[in-house]
Amino acid sequence: MINKTILRVGSAVALALTAYGCNNDKITALNKNPNSPEDVPPGPLFTEAARLTTSRWFGAIDLRAHEWVVQQLAEVQYDDEDRYIRVHATDTEGTWNGAYSSELKDLTQIIAKGQASGDAGIYAPAVALRTLGFDFITDAWGGAPYTEALKGDSVGSSLTPAYDTQQAIYASFFASLDKASTDLVGASNALGSADPIYGGSPAAWQKFINSLRARLAMRISNKDLPLATAQLAAAMAAPGGLILSNADNAYFPWPGDGVYNNPWSDNLKGRDDWRMSWTLVDSIMKPLNDPRLPIYAQPAASPGPNGPYHGAQNGIVAILPPGGVLEPLNTTSRPGSIFYPGATTYGPVLGRTGSSLPTAILTAAEMNFILAEAAERGMIAGGAGAAATYYNAGITASMNQWNDLAQSNGQSITAGQTAGYLAQASIVYQGGTAGLMQIAREKYVALYTDGGNAWFEWRRTCVPVQIRLVPDNDPAVTTVPRRWEYPTTEATANGVSLAAAITGQGTDNLMTQLWWDTKTAATCS
Amino acid sequence: MGMTSKISRFLAVAGVVFGLTPALAQAQGTTISGHVTGAGGAPVVGASVSIPTLRVGAFTDDAGSYSFTVPASANGTTITVIARRLGFQPSSATVPLTGAPVTQNFSLSATATELQGVVVTALGESREKSRLGTAQQQLSTTELNETKTQNVVNSIQGKVSGVTITGSGTQGGSTRILLRGANSITGNNSPLFIVDGVAVSNASRGTTQVGGWDFGSAISDINPEDIATMSVLKGPNAAAIYGSRAANGVIIMTTKKGANSGGGMRTEVSSTYTWESPSILPSFQNLYGQGSGGQFEFVDGQNGGNCDGCDQSFGPKLDGRLIAQFTSPKDANGNLIPIPWVAHPDNVDSYFNSGHTLSNTVSFSGGTDRANARMSFGSDQITGYIPNNSFHKTNALLNATLKINDRLSSDASLQYVRNNALNRPGVGYTTSALEGFLWFGRQVDMTALKNGYNENATLNNGPPDREFNWNYNYHNNPFWLANDNPEADNRDRFIGNVSATYKLAEGLDANLRTGSDIYRYVINQDFSHGDVRAGTIVNPAYAGGFINLNDYNNENTTDLTLRLNRALNSHFQIDAVGGAATRRSTYNFNSVQTGGLTVPDIYNVGNAAITPTLGQTLQRRQTNSAYGSADLTINNWWTIGGTARNDWSSTLPVGSNSYFYPSASTAIVLTDMLPSLKNRWLSYAKVRASTAKVGADADPYLLRTTYTGLSTKYGGLPQFTLADALANGGLLPEITHSNEAGAELSFLDGRITFDGSIYSKYTENQIFSAPISSTTGFTTKSINAGKITNKGQEFLLGVTPISTGGGFNWNSVFNYGHNKSLVAELSPGVTTLNLGSNGFDARVEARLDHPYGAIMGNRWLRDSQGRLIVTAGGLPQRDPSCAGYQCYLGTVQPQWTGGWGNTFSYKAFRLYGLLDFHEGGRLMSTTNMWGDNTGVLSRTIKGREADWNNPGVVVDGVHADGSPNTTAVNPETYWQCVSYNCGQVVEDYVYDASYTKLRELSLSFEVPHSMANRFNASAISLGITGRNLKTWTKVPNIDPEFSYQTGNNQGIEDFVLPNARVWGFNVRITP
Repeated sequence: MINKTILRVGSAVALALTAYGCNNDKITALNKNPNSPEDVPPGPLFTEAARLTTSRWFGAIDLRAHEWVVQQLAEVQYDDEDRYIRVHATDTEGTWNGAYSSELKDLTQIIAKGQASGDAGIYAPAVALRTLGFDFITDAWGGAPYTEALKGDSVGSSLTPAYDTQQAIYASFFASLDKASTDLVGASNALGSADPIYGGSPAAWQKFINSLRARLAMRISNKDLPLATAQLAAAMAAPGGLILSNADNAYFPWPGDGVYNNPWSDNLKGRDDWRMSWTLVDSIMKPLNDPRLPIYAQPAASPGPNGPYHGAQNGIVAILPPGGVLEPLNTTSRPGSIFYPGATTYGPVLGRTGSSLPTAILTAAEMNFILAEAAERGMIAGGAGAAATYYNAGITASMNQWNDLAQSNGQSITAGQTAGYLAQASIVYQGGTAGLMQIAREKYVALYTDGGNAWFEWRRTCVPVQIRLVPDNDPAVTTVPRRWEYPTTEATANGVSLAAAITGQGTDNLMTQLWWDTKTAATCS
Repeated sequence: MGMTSKISRFLAVAGVVFGLTPALAQAQGTTISGHVTGAGGAPVVGASVSIPTLRVGAFTDDAGSYSFTVPASANGTTITVIARRLGFQPSSATVPLTGAPVTQNFSLSATATELQGVVVTALGESREKSRLGTAQQQLSTTELNETKTQNVVNSIQGKVSGVTITGSGTQGGSTRILLRGANSITGNNSPLFIVDGVAVSNASRGTTQVGGWDFGSAISDINPEDIATMSVLKGPNAAAIYGSRAANGVIIMTTKKGANSGGGMRTEVSSTYTWESPSILPSFQNLYGQGSGGQFEFVDGQNGGNCDGCDQSFGPKLDGRLIAQFTSPKDANGNLIPIPWVAHPDNVDSYFNSGHTLSNTVSFSGGTDRANARMSFGSDQITGYIPNNSFHKTNALLNATLKINDRLSSDASLQYVRNNALNRPGVGYTTSALEGFLWFGRQVDMTALKNGYNENATLNNGPPDREFNWNYNYHNNPFWLANDNPEADNRDRFIGNVSATYKLAEGLDANLRTGSDIYRYVINQDFSHGDVRAGTIVNPAYAGGFINLNDYNNENTTDLTLRLNRALNSHFQIDAVGGAATRRSTYNFNSVQTGGLTVPDIYNVGNAAITPTLGQTLQRRQTNSAYGSADLTINNWWTIGGTARNDWSSTLPVGSNSYFYPSASTAIVLTDMLPSLKNRWLSYAKVRASTAKVGADADPYLLRTTYTGLSTKYGGLPQFTLADALANGGLLPEITHSNEAGAELSFLDGRITFDGSIYSKYTENQIFSAPISSTTGFTTKSINAGKITNKGQEFLLGVTPISTGGGFNWNSVFNYGHNKSLVAELSPGVTTLNLGSNGFDARVEARLDHPYGAIMGNRWLRDSQGRLIVTAGGLPQRDPSCAGYQCYLGTVQPQWTGGWGNTFSYKAFRLYGLLDFHEGGRLMSTTNMWGDNTGVLSRTIKGREADWNNPGVVVDGVHADGSPNTTAVNPETYWQCVSYNCGQVVEDYVYDASYTKLRELSLSFEVPHSMANRFNASAISLGITGRNLKTWTKVPNIDPEFSYQTGNNQGIEDFVLPNARVWGFNVRITP
């Protein structure tokens, strides 16, 4: 009887288990992700990618380095970046990793989608932003994965992309910008409002693409002048022309709605770590009576002997000579009130509109300075005369740009102030090497808030010469940094490719100069 | 599901499972009943009272009572009745059977440990320990409740060999438990918890070292007073039957059940009151106040004065000189008047309160032979040692058994738990209260902050919309944070199951059971306007902000099992289980947060001025299983067992979602096999061995890469980004292999016992997110790779050095566990995986060919003789070869852990003490690092013994040319250099993590039986208890025992609040 029972029960169980096994493929239907789609249209990807590109490279907080290394800003209290202590691989790698895994990847998806549908209005703006982002990477780090990058594990690609040299990356930049500008001829506005920068306008993106190409051409001009000259000419000749008027400037508009704010204002609302750098304020803008100074900076809380506008020495906080006395922090200038939101946690209501201040990505001022330098160096026609014209136009464009931006903050720069500035003997264009230095100095001032390009340009030109190694620097860093160290994540996850890149490029430290960086470090710092 | 009650019923009905004796003896047999008591007359619960020769018996109930009937066929004989219980020496009595009821009481004396007896093992099966081929250790309710803790996991600290338990540091925080080391590289290493047969969640809403709140781990919901037994099944061998999640071991708890009380009611009361205080606080200096470079002057606390926005203590000497301070009165012009600059040595200490905990459990039980039940109510009322911190827990548990007829019976268990926490202590750099005291002015008067947190900052010329404080740039008033930014959370939880058992035939039962663990957990974090902590969500332009998190978790298991317990003949006994189970789990998460409110104090999404960020996640998974287990015992001394299981998982791809895993074990009682081995020294010897495999599935949704949408719109526009994690459509199940062997020996009639194991295990084909180069566009990819090997030994040694007839007894138990986890393989091309970091160049990694949990960071540059090589300026410098976490600074794994418990009993008095050992391993302390950097720790007086820059520090080192360093550096420069500024070198802050804690101490007194009886109780005990009374460690300034969550990110300390030192008093009334 018992054996029968066992038999019966055993058969029932066996049957049940068999039924179980048959049903088990069905339970995998539970594994379809209910939270996230497997495909999306390109517009929402573009909005996100444009925002991330801007906040990453113009945020001054993600990297916490460009503006300090190039001494437009200085740190008080915690001056680790100023002194090159907190700018090593582990401090900067988040920027590299974030750029690749976020907006560069998404832009690559958009390009694929746009090319699949044959819509240049979608893919060409994405090519432009992708090139802009990759340029920050190669100019800050050097060689980088480019050709094999951003392909995941799709067929034919490895998980360890090889590094392209900076020279090869630039060559590819020129080719892709050339094609993007041409493809946009006759293209429709496909992105529309999903493009926060130009509202999807193909004509505007043509100007952006050509201007970016001009910037890149000038950047390599000390290394490969013929190529630079040819690319500059091609950029000028490409359909759409360059950004030479502030009306065409590339701005990223911040809603300032508390969620998406200008990244400078987001930092300043809760931290009081930033001051103007002595290099920008005391050594350049004050002697030149620059009317932008009250916009760039605000008067010190408690002005000392150096007057209301006074920059802090980069890296000076840590210096405590025997019996030495720190310069009181309250005698130095904070960044301009235009960058401050309506309230901060630590006190004074310094500005009102900083959270919605647009970020300037590419401007007419910079383009005019590029053309001025090109004319002076004979890369384009016109010589010193044309150089002077472009130089004055660049200064005027910058003055007008900051006047436009400052209106909302109740500040302005009058045409008379601009004229007065231009009329000064030290500003009047001098031509020759002196002229080139004037152009580079004015570009440095105009690039305020774009510390990355200011730093790249200083490395190319050694101007302003006031930028020097800070006191009490990290002993391992013996020159003003000329690049960042490769991420530790690359050493651990892409070690073979990285090692090959370092072999070709030089030691992976902050001092190694990159392909287009030809100035001797000794003369520069 | 009521394991114990089922057992009791089964035994009561069928007799102890050894024989063919018909269960339902109709004849007028002899009924034997009585009480089994321990020291001082306390009832012994769960003791087995049996007549081995007749194979009948019963277990004692909650009151220590038992009753069973001997078949009439035995009338006229005289038999021996034996009472046995793990942890007690057996006792026997001779009883003549006449048919008339017999009352036979037993008084058992405790032994250090006991190797023989009945234990609860996998699937809640009750087995003779002598037949187990695997290692397990069982704790009784008494052992668990020696001293009261809120988390049952803390109750086993120091008591089980091979178990590593790390208390959280904070009250109500997460406790990490690890059995025999970590198996998984990045996944879950927590054992599976089973309460009455149902898997219960131990989910941790922990945090990182960087900051946040530690919301504890879910197993703390179980009331330790409701637990009858807790079995720790250490390896996967013992647990293969529970499936995937048992790879890390299983902790099986059975709750107390009702019993046949003849209709009467039994009431049990346990009440504890304790006082808590921080067990360790840093040692601070009191010679220099706030400031830098010896300077300080308060004007407005926001850089308006000289360094009044600074938050270090490298300011002027605290010599009573006159300096304007945040507490200064104002002159006629509203300027702050200089007042004496003096130390407030108790300023951190006085921030903390004395915590209080009142814990009560009352239970009622009773019933008849057909139906019985036990219900209990428990309550914990905790006021923490942090201001405005409280924690309330309410438990209610009902266990009921109904015997419908002789074949069909049903059990049900329903447990409701409600947790309410207010203002849990923040942990980590951004949120811990200690952060505000390590970046601090040593002159700050805490009383002024406490009295002034409701005042406006204009009192000392600070910003008009801030609370009164000592520094407005980087800090909030700590009392304002505690009182005006309350964190509140509550969890409502039901754990319940219903089962029906049908007796198909003698020794063959079918059981159908379904049970769920369901909870909703709501966390509200409110932030007032003016919160300045790093990473705060609060936008100062608005009236505050809030975060609301809402978890819903539901796990249901339904299983059908067949159990066979039969003696085939006098030589063979078979115990077998076969079954099928379905597990379904659903996790649903919703969140709302905004950094801007329109009107203050209304923390509702309708009041959001900034578009709220919303979160929503739904996860579902299902596993179907078929399993079987069989043990064959031959001649009562040799047991051969095996288990087999097949799982089908929803999370693996079709084609790979079915996986099978078996185990085998054997146990031989040598002293029964060869009785001649027994002599006056050796009383018992058993050897055992087992081998097992356990398969495991993946997390949901790893097979397809998806796009992530953002709830916040950019100017009304949607945004998407392709996920950073690259999916893998070809995942396979992961497999853990384990082998173990052990011996159980007893000498001198149980005066000395030894239970030891050696084991070796590894998990291969691990499913984890391998870091890949971000240049692929993705930062991780789900892969099958990697292997961790664990090898170790553990033993439990029990000694009863003194046991006198006069009632004096000394029992001593020592347990030891050594485990070595080695990372043997990672994914191809990957040499390391980051497990966690404090954000300051120290991290803990799974690094190839290193012990699991390797601390990596920077070291100082040294010459071949080990001397520091200093810079021209006289400062030490970083070894450049360490850049990028390349230097190994030690492992977080201890060399061994152990516990030594001693019980001294004399008549009604009992003294118990437990030392908990953690020997070896390293930890990195961020508190020490920043405490040096800010100059608040007492050792930072070095270099400024005379004045702020005098005499300076001459670093003991040499220049690159070998010449000795003679340069004196400013002490502020020196301390900032060694702690952070000279290349973020963490070497000096990596310490030997060894500690010994006086974990538990209790002195209890059993009220005389006669007096207890007057209160209608069988026993009343009174006790004084203490926990964490003393810590011996080489680590300065912090509690070396800490965890932020139950995950793998362990070993880097970051402003952790110390574990509480607890003193208390308890009363226990047993019916």
